[in-house]
Amino acid sequence: MNDRLGRRACLLATAGLLACNTSASVGRAHATLWFCYGGKNREVLLDLVGRFNRNQSKYVIDAVYQGDYFECLAKLRTALAAGLGPTFSHVVGEVLPYLSSTGVLESLDEYPGAHSLGFVRELAQAGAYVGGDKQPLFGIPFNRSTPIMYANEPALQEAGVSIPDTWDELLGAAKKLYRPGNDMRWGFEVPISWWFWVALVGQSGGRVVEPDGTVSLGFDAGVHAVEFLQELVHKHGVMRPPPGRDYNAWDATNLDFLSARAPLTWTSTAFLRYLEQNAKFPVRACKLPRHVRYSVPTGGTLFVMLAHAKRAEKEAAWAFLRWMCETDQTIDWATRTGYLPVTEAAIEKLRKGGYYDKHPNDWVAYAQLKSAEPWPWAPHLFRVQRNIIDPRLEEAVLLNRPARTVLDEARREAKEEG
Amino acid sequence: MSAKTRPWLLLAPTLAFFFLFVFLPVGVALYQSFFSWDLLTPPRWVGIRNYTSLISTGALLSVLGRTLLFAILVVLGTTASGLGLALLLNREGRFFAFVRASIFSAYVVSWVAVSLLWLWILDPDRGLVAKLLSLIGITDVRLLSDPKSVVPTLAVVAVWKITGYAMVIFLAGLQTIPTSVLEAARLDGANAWSRFVHILWPMLKPTTSFVTTTSLILAFQAFDIIRIMTQGGPANASKLFVYAIYEAVFLNLRVGEASALTVVFFVVLLVLSLGQFHAWRAKA
Repeated sequence: MNDRLGRRACLLATAGLLACNTSASVGRAHATLWFCYGGKNREVLLDLVGRFNRNQSKYVIDAVYQGDYFECLAKLRTALAAGLGPTFSHVVGEVLPYLSSTGVLESLDEYPGAHSLGFVRELAQAGAYVGGDKQPLFGIPFNRSTPIMYANEPALQEAGVSIPDTWDELLGAAKKLYRPGNDMRWGFEVPISWWFWVALVGQSGGRVVEPDGTVSLGFDAGVHAVEFLQELVHKHGVMRPPPGRDYNAWDATNLDFLSARAPLTWTSTAFLRYLEQNAKFPVRACKLPRHVRYSVPTGGTLFVMLAHAKRAEKEAAWAFLRWMCETDQTIDWATRTGYLPVTEAAIEKLRKGGYYDKHPNDWVAYAQLKSAEPWPWAPHLFRVQRNIIDPRLEEAVLLNRPARTVLDEARREAKEEG
Repeated sequence: MSAKTRPWLLLAPTLAFFFLFVFLPVGVALYQSFFSWDLLTPPRWVGIRNYTSLISTGALLSVLGRTLLFAILVVLGTTASGLGLALLLNREGRFFAFVRASIFSAYVVSWVAVSLLWLWILDPDRGLVAKLLSLIGITDVRLLSDPKSVVPTLAVVAVWKITGYAMVIFLAGLQTIPTSVLEAARLDGANAWSRFVHILWPMLKPTTSFVTTTSLILAFQAFDIIRIMTQGGPANASKLFVYAIYEAVFLNLRVGEASALTVVFFVVLLVLSLGQFHAWRAKA
């Protein structure tokens, strides 16, 4: 009897909630957001979307989870090809020039306040790309990041290792930290992936695409970058390539760091909060070391609006984007996740409020932006990443193939791709 | 209705289904394989370049080679383990029924769940295999991250998953063999091995053909296991046919290349099916 009553009460409550939800959203303009986060980031984003929907009565954002960045992008392209798709989404920086060249993105130049949102230049389209300010505005920075080095402080102290500032010091530190045997500990770990290779190329003094648009893959700097990874893995045996591809390897790196199997790792600033909250030891974030110079690429995603969407949907999406770029939301998103705050006002408020004194790791991530390298505005950049570099990097590092041969092949293929 | 039109009318629904869901998609894939297309920009005619590039880069041969290796391992493993288990468990009693049901249960579990389970078992640090091997002093075993061991390892997982099905089919086959024949052989002094070689194995040939055919199809269709466990890595060492098609179209924006792979895949399956068909006809 009680069970039946309980079930009825549950059904009535659910129906009531649905009715409230429906009546609350009637007459409001809806916009669909396809997002690509799981875990903590998803939780924070949905919280922000919920707050936006509750705090005003004109618009409703329907946020739909679509897998990781690459899965979401695949679905987005397929939906667009079928003439469907969401009102807005967020995409990795490398793909923005390509999507803009296909005409599927809405130019945001004419939207109210689009050029007065006060973004941190290195993270916005204007500064994140070479000549990004000469293109129509397509991307609004959202979850932006850079690669960063995480150190397990007690493990480093125990091994008498100081934070490495050069490649040579990094190799030395990895040798000292490496401990074979049943209680295996790797000296260093970084996912064998495009983003970190681009950082190494920059640190070696090169760039992936030359100013005239030629895909150089860094020439000698690209070779040095691959050879450095090969040395760590094969010659000195102090690093293991984390198992898995794409973000699986990133997860493996994080798990190895948290379980103290890899006390020195490179991964994204995006994991700062996650690693701090889950490590059983003090976590120290440090800038990436240099070879001939300091250099990091930017990462994460930018919001994009789809040109095919209806006017009312676009208006709702733009209202949400502007709201997300307000100082409070920018700070909320950044401090709860570890991504970089994207507006100068948010940075200033955090600085003045003493946030960076209490969270020096966050400051390291922000300060490292001084050495951020802009991406080329090259429509084929995404293909270079996915088709040409990522599979070859794995091949070169895991199978220890000559770096120069591998990159020569890659350059030839890039040339054929045009 | 004339005698000539009647069969065609009866066949029409099936033929329409085949045309719509088999021949038309293959035809579209064939047409698209002559273009370079990324779904978002207009397709560009490239003739047979998608095919020549797949051949000249060695991509086609390596994907085909890996898929065949995987298929051979899965077919041999499934047939041997299914038959072995059927011979062992072809007995009455609750205990044997329980063991049979336990083994078959893996077959009804989804590929995703099986892949996740085996990811944990094979995890090089925290997995069951690593823990067991560390007890005998073997450390740093990377079955899924070593290009040489990844395909055989995936084949073991696939065999583990589908061996229960093969066992049930073999059990059904064994139960169709009259006990009187085996009894007579035993009375004539034939030992267990002789009975297997001269009676059971020949009489199980149709069952074996069925098991090898179904496991071959399953092996060629492998996708979920690759998507979840290795994503085609390391260094493309586990990129099998269906995953290569998925990667080309959905991750690398190459509809033309994916279509060319699909056409080749269709031809390979057609040749294998025709071979199987002829073998069956010869036996009949």
